[in-house]
Amino acid sequence: MVPLKYNLRSLRARKVGSLMTVLGVGMVVWASIFAFGLSAGLDKTLEIAAHPLDVLVLRKGATSEAVSGVSDAVARDVLALPGIATDGEGQPLASRELVVFGYLPRRGQTQPVNVTVRGVEPVARQLREGMRIVAGRDFRPGLREAVVSRAMSARFQGLGLDEEFAVQEGQFRVVGLFEAGGGAVESEVWTDRNVLAQTVNRTGSMSSLQLRAASAAAQEQLVNRVKADEQIDLNAVTEAQYYADQAAQSGLLKIVGGMIAFFLTIGAMFAVANTMYGAIASRAREIGTLRALGFGRGSILMAFLLESLVLCGLGAALGCLGALALQAATGGLRTGTMNPGTFTELAFSFDFGPRVLLKGALLAMAMGLLGGLMPALRAVRMKVVDALREA
Amino acid sequence: MIKYLPLIVRNVFRNKIRSLFTGASIAVSLFLVVTLYALLTHQDELAEASKVHNRVAVMHKAGLSGQLPIGHLDRVRSMPAVQVAAPMSWFGGNYREETVQFAQFGTDPQTIFKVYEELEIPPDQLAAWQKDRTGCIVGSVIARNKGWKIGDRIPLQGNIYPVDLELTVDGIYDGPSTVDREWLLFHFDYMDQALQEMRYPTAGNAGIVMLRTTTAEQVPQVMRAIEDAFASSDAPVKSLTEKQFAQSFTEMFGNVRGFIRYTSLAVVSALLCVAANTMAMSVRERTREIALLKAIGFSKPSVLTMFLCESVLIGLVGGVVGALGGKLLFSLVDLSTVAPGLGLFYIPWGTALWGLALASLIGLLSGLVPAWRAAQISVIDGLRKVV
Repeated sequence: MVPLKYNLRSLRARKVGSLMTVLGVGMVVWASIFAFGLSAGLDKTLEIAAHPLDVLVLRKGATSEAVSGVSDAVARDVLALPGIATDGEGQPLASRELVVFGYLPRRGQTQPVNVTVRGVEPVARQLREGMRIVAGRDFRPGLREAVVSRAMSARFQGLGLDEEFAVQEGQFRVVGLFEAGGGAVESEVWTDRNVLAQTVNRTGSMSSLQLRAASAAAQEQLVNRVKADEQIDLNAVTEAQYYADQAAQSGLLKIVGGMIAFFLTIGAMFAVANTMYGAIASRAREIGTLRALGFGRGSILMAFLLESLVLCGLGAALGCLGALALQAATGGLRTGTMNPGTFTELAFSFDFGPRVLLKGALLAMAMGLLGGLMPALRAVRMKVVDALREA
Repeated sequence: MIKYLPLIVRNVFRNKIRSLFTGASIAVSLFLVVTLYALLTHQDELAEASKVHNRVAVMHKAGLSGQLPIGHLDRVRSMPAVQVAAPMSWFGGNYREETVQFAQFGTDPQTIFKVYEELEIPPDQLAAWQKDRTGCIVGSVIARNKGWKIGDRIPLQGNIYPVDLELTVDGIYDGPSTVDREWLLFHFDYMDQALQEMRYPTAGNAGIVMLRTTTAEQVPQVMRAIEDAFASSDAPVKSLTEKQFAQSFTEMFGNVRGFIRYTSLAVVSALLCVAANTMAMSVRERTREIALLKAIGFSKPSVLTMFLCESVLIGLVGGVVGALGGKLLFSLVDLSTVAPGLGLFYIPWGTALWGLALASLIGLLSGLVPAWRAAQISVIDGLRKVV
């Protein structure tokens, strides 16, 4: 084995060249992490939205709450089914919810987009344990008051604390901001169900029924019962499945993210190959000397591949640090886009977690290995005599 | 400088692998940047091109999720300067087990092809569809991708509406590559009658009304007149030009423009580092040669220019392959086969040329420091230096 020190010192000897390559690789890794972090953040948000025991009851054929409708009468039949968990006072943990679209412009823009407005009863809070009011107060039932997630409040006109927004013809006042530990709830506006139903003329029915099953087995039975019962004639899905289906709709985002990473990696591979060719061409005599000293072809190949990997490893570290610095500087990079499953705004944070960073680092390793291979092979193929003779 | 061009070109080719790799790295990255930007610019260009048809979209003030009563249609039609109008009610049904939906509109078979005058449909197929209540017309692109032929049955499962449609393909429309050929059009009445019979609360929803005015000058006045006419009705409306309507969809995706800009910036900076590094290597190797050139009378500015030309040339070649090659690629490959709804994607000329300019700029900037260094090389030191 050629000592690693030889390669490290060689890199140091060509300071500017090595630094430029590390910078280039770092930038590419950073851009890839940015793209991966976007789609991972979106997936994560939809994933933590779900409670493992929760079941959503929707109209047959409806794939999202906003287009679903369930009448009060049928809902009562569902609530009578066995297997629904109860709270301390024996009340079923089942929430009748009305979901409608608000149509509001983002801050700094004029074109409105759809925003999820959810009308709930007090029991809804027991189904979303992480939710808490962080500013202002909770809405009072019977009044046109609403609480808004902190993320949405910052993104939309009219959703700031003490501001007012319209749902169709009704004006609602924002009286509090909430957080819920990430998840899709943080893209919503909550208000009283009866008030919302009167505002949009939808009394006597709801969008969906959210149930907490008593156990995993009860959950399966509950889902099957609702689906099979011809009197009820509704569809039931586990909440996890509901959000997984939505995440599947954002495939285009993943394709674009993957495409960015793929092409950048190819581009960077050429650059790494160039640097390594340069390194090897100017060190022909050294390589000849190493061979003359008795280092085998294998160890020369290894040495140059290692050098290329160190180069890209430094770049990967730089890219990851860049992403983490961005996250630290912004306190979690927040953004929002349309959830293609519901056509409403989904607010989420970029996910620069270990898995995303690892993916970026693996790309850098691929650049190092593939980019360094051809130059390293050339180093190996040099004839000792010719290499020593070279100027 | 022109007379030195052969020398510059030969210098580019003297280390073939290095120039090839630098060019390839620029080409691949430029292809990416140009494609990302084209995702935005091609929509703007299409929207701009649609202006000649003087179309206006009328929707509920509360957005696309609002109910636009079908009764509004007749009132819109009776307004002055409205030449023709048709409803376009988004059905959003599921086809077989496919998770990705395609565009399905309930519309008026008598007028829809007058509103979209640029769509081409054989008159006998149109006549057959107009008579067939459960018939539909599909775009040529989606028909090809899904293998539909005239006479095929297409079952659509309701998602927004609790009705299933059983449709028969009566015809296939075509049109220039600038129009969406991935639509399925069916009789609005077929869907609505089913909803009326079950007294479904959102029955009679026209979705949007798309209309056409006779002249371009009438567009703003018609838009205002329609908004005023329905201002105090149960369902107040908003009118958008076709261009604004198209942009409202891009808007939904949020900060996409910003992300594309950041990513491109990172790519361009990475390229600058990489290309500058390559140029620096090639200057270092040629120290002796440069000293020789200067010794025989080449001035500092001409050495500087020669190296700048070399790096711009490499950048330009990379740009031609990446940006123009990308344009060619997407004009040959139809994306709708892999990504439904992207059938209209192409790289506009403006974006491709902008990419080419960017590549030259990368070449120029990356060559600045190395070329300046080359110009500064002292004749004596350079000649003495053993590389």
